[in-house]
Amino acid sequence: MTLLEKMDRLVYATGIDRILFRMIKPRTLRWSPVVVIAALIAGYILSAKNTNPLQPGFWIGWLLFYGAFLAAAFLRAFGPRFTGTGNHPLDEREMMVKARAHAISGVALATLAMLGCFYMAAADLPGFWHPHTLDWMNLGFGIQATGLLLPTLIASWMQPRALADDED
Amino acid sequence: MDMNRVTILYNRIALFRTERGVSRRELAEAVGVNNQTIGYLERGDYKPSLELAMKIAAYFGMPIELLFSFKPFESVADSLRRAAAAGE
Repeated sequence: MTLLEKMDRLVYATGIDRILFRMIKPRTLRWSPVVVIAALIAGYILSAKNTNPLQPGFWIGWLLFYGAFLAAAFLRAFGPRFTGTGNHPLDEREMMVKARAHAISGVALATLAMLGCFYMAAADLPGFWHPHTLDWMNLGFGIQATGLLLPTLIASWMQPRALADDED
Repeated sequence: MDMNRVTILYNRIALFRTERGVSRRELAEAVGVNNQTIGYLERGDYKPSLELAMKIAAYFGMPIELLFSFKPFESVADSLRRAAAAGE
């Protein structure tokens, strides 16, 4: 068996194909995105407060932050469908939920960015914290992860939970 | 009826579906939506577009007003009772 064939088998054995081809039954995820966003914030604060790699808080912060970042990327695949497939394109309800969830999420992120700008205008004053090089990088990834998860969170609260027999 | 107020759109999709022995999956495939969307429609959690409402009505071969209404539909028991009383 060639390496490519082995890798192909591994994809099916691990079930990653179900995520890639969006074969997972969409669920309403009302609390798990909140937990992941809280972990992102906690990880960011820890990594920003502990700049010395010799401090345990530094590594705990980075692990928490990037663990939450990975979780955000995966969690989106298990929530309400935002991307259709060739066989199952999004229907009108799913497109409506997607559009509203992304619109609300966009407004929320824009508001946060605006508040961040006002804060940064004052951050040069003594006693105010401001991000350093790595903090900026983490902030970028943090916004990206939040941008991935917020629509999932909003869409999950917008629609009632699907019932088990809806598939029948 | 106040047309500016948000209204409830009642439907009899579940009734017609059960009567015809059609599963949600079959109806969903016939009208081109996700199975879950049929569940949301039946429970009144989602109001369909005119296009979808007409597709569902066409699937059952019924006028659209027999499937969707702004007023609650009469229960099957009441309809039968009324039909029986009229036949007497």
